[in-house]
Amino acid sequence: MPEDDALMHILPSQTSSGSQRVMVEVAGLCKDFGAHRVLDNIHLTVDPGEVIAIIGPSGSGKSTLLRCINLLERPSAGAIRVGDVEIDAFRKITRRELLAFRRPIGMVFQSFNLFPHLSVLRNVSIAQERVLKRSREEADAVSRQLLERVGLGSKADQYPARCSGGQQQRIAIARALALEPELMLFDEPTSALDPELGLEVLNVMQELATAGMTMIVVTHEMHFAESVSNRVIIMADGKIIEEGPSVQVMRSPHSERAKQFLGAVLNR
Amino acid sequence: MIDMLEFWRQSLPQLLTGYRLSLLVTGASLFLGIPLGLLLALSLQTRSTWLKLPSLSVVEIGRGASILVLLQFVYFGMPSVGLTFSSFASVTIAFTWCTAAYTSEIIRAGLESVPQGQREAGEALGMTRLDILRIVILPQGLPVSVPALLGFSILMLQASSLAFVVALPELMSKAQLIGSNTFRYMPLFTLTAILYAAVCIPATIVVGFLERRLSRHF
Amino acid sequence: MMATILSGVTWTIALSLTALAIGIILGGVLCAMRTSGVALLDFAATVLILAFRSVPPIVWLFLIYFGIGSGIVQVSPFQAAAIGLGLITGANMAEIFRGSLKAIHPGQGEAARALSMPPVWRMVDVIIPQLMRISLPSVVSYGIGLLKDTAIASTIGVPEIAFKASHVSQVTFRGLESFAFAGALYILLSVPIALASREIDQRLRARVAK
Ligand SMILES: Nc1ncnc2c1ncn2[C@@H]1O[C@H](COP(=O)(O)OP(=O)(O)OP(=O)(O)O)[C@@H](O)[C@H]1O
Ligand SMILES: [Mg+2]
Repeated sequence: MPEDDALMHILPSQTSSGSQRVMVEVAGLCKDFGAHRVLDNIHLTVDPGEVIAIIGPSGSGKSTLLRCINLLERPSAGAIRVGDVEIDAFRKITRRELLAFRRPIGMVFQSFNLFPHLSVLRNVSIAQERVLKRSREEADAVSRQLLERVGLGSKADQYPARCSGGQQQRIAIARALALEPELMLFDEPTSALDPELGLEVLNVMQELATAGMTMIVVTHEMHFAESVSNRVIIMADGKIIEEGPSVQVMRSPHSERAKQFLGAVLNR
Repeated sequence: MIDMLEFWRQSLPQLLTGYRLSLLVTGASLFLGIPLGLLLALSLQTRSTWLKLPSLSVVEIGRGASILVLLQFVYFGMPSVGLTFSSFASVTIAFTWCTAAYTSEIIRAGLESVPQGQREAGEALGMTRLDILRIVILPQGLPVSVPALLGFSILMLQASSLAFVVALPELMSKAQLIGSNTFRYMPLFTLTAILYAAVCIPATIVVGFLERRLSRHF
Repeated sequence: MMATILSGVTWTIALSLTALAIGIILGGVLCAMRTSGVALLDFAATVLILAFRSVPPIVWLFLIYFGIGSGIVQVSPFQAAAIGLGLITGANMAEIFRGSLKAIHPGQGEAARALSMPPVWRMVDVIIPQLMRISLPSVVSYGIGLLKDTAIASTIGVPEIAFKASHVSQVTFRGLESFAFAGALYILLSVPIALASREIDQRLRARVAK
């Protein structure tokens, strides 16, 4: 039964790359905190190269969904597949499986979460050395290249505290990209930033999208949702209440709840 | 007055030999106890009952029983189960135990001061738990504990004066020895007090300085 | 054996309470000096606090018992221990009170001043009750530590738990059991105090929250 459900939710619109397998498949995902059901039977598929924006009122479970997708939160029920690795909430996940599952996923947090005791360069290099077993020289070379790409080549030897919020978030993106992810998760990457600094970050993200990265972005940036993402998902009360091609969802949503939410945010 | 200074001059060398031993036994206990405290702190954070329960007992006994009683237990008690320790070994064992118990709490508080997001960032980067601990948590959490650890070290130096009950010839034993020969307790213990204070006062001032510097960072 | 060691409990408790009482009074005075704004008093209190805390308890006890006690004034072991531990407790209490004072919102003093309350009543009616509530948990946990520190008094002959254990151990040659029992007693004694403190703290908090 959940299988059928999952199939129903695959939208044909964005599967341009035809024969390629879907990148992310979430089926029947539920998450409870105590008696509180925060995610309620979520189904979601993401094709390679797709950019998905998740919007919705505060507390609707957007962050929780994202955190379940890389298992920072353990799902209470359901299954998640990313690339070739699939996990099921009812089966115990070994530590090795957990690492394998997370391997292709990069994540960017609202609060950056850079390591404050390491230089910018070390922040980007450290996981390459530990996870990809690159040598320090190799890792540093990759890091410098990535920092250049996000426009921060000159900051390599600074400490994160000496960088602006926008710069820190771009460093965090470089740190995640250094592990060559196939999927990038962004949890409100610009919410902690002034609009101007947010723009720096959004530009980097847009570039990334253009380059073909598969991305799931929880955001309050309605412009980003409409113009950069291919597909928009609106969540409320732990459920997906609206889903479809960006422009269609943003301009002419079907459900009342979605209309109400969009009305509230767009008229601000 | 001159008489007293002369008495101090005479007793000082003996007291200083004792003091060296006080510092040595304190140093040994801290050197062994603090790493153990770290291990206890870590095993108390795990979900495994097998690690947690014994660790908790070690901590609760180390903190709950008086250090003097702990010391006497090791020195006077253990021989009846066939374990006889020298007074130096007994003091080191009891004080290491006590140090591990108290510093585990100090270190735990330091590690818990590292924001949850730091661990999550490490997890999201696919780092192993050991790497997250080594690279992310410890380098940030341990410095937070330093002032409190130093403060505790001062208390341990003071506690080393209890070692005279097991006849370890440290500062307090020496003072008592001279006292029982000369009966000049007042000047003698005053000098002893000054010797302890000469180390503890500067150390306390340093702790205060470190604490203020640390609190400015947050 | 157990009965003998148990008979030390009264002394342990009496000594803890006496030293704590001395400490609270002394701590209050030292804290008042520290925060008086009078440079000389502040300095004197700072030096005293530092001195009290920088000399091991046992040295204080010996200094008072053998040093002063062998002079003109006679002091009993209990008195010497209570004074010695009281001095150290006083220094630590002063720091606890000063910390709590900082936690009281400065607006409280200002509000009292705005109501033109005289300074003394400002202290008695507004500051001290809050101070007591805020410092209670620290005072109690210090008290539990003090309970264990009273074992030191055994070295000058106060017949409390550790003294009795030591005595029993010498007479019966059963050090293991004696000291294990004494250690367990200290742990057992501190449990109800910790529980009671948490209970009181929660009640006080609840009252404030209303
Ligand atoms: N660790 C947790 N324990 C208990 N409840 C939690 C936990 N994390 C989240 N929740 C609850 O789950 C619900 C969804 O939270 P979530 O953070 O996913 O919302 P969100 O859509 O990201 O909101 P926002 O836009 O404010 O970030 C909220 O009601 C929140 O209180
Ligand atoms: Mg969120």
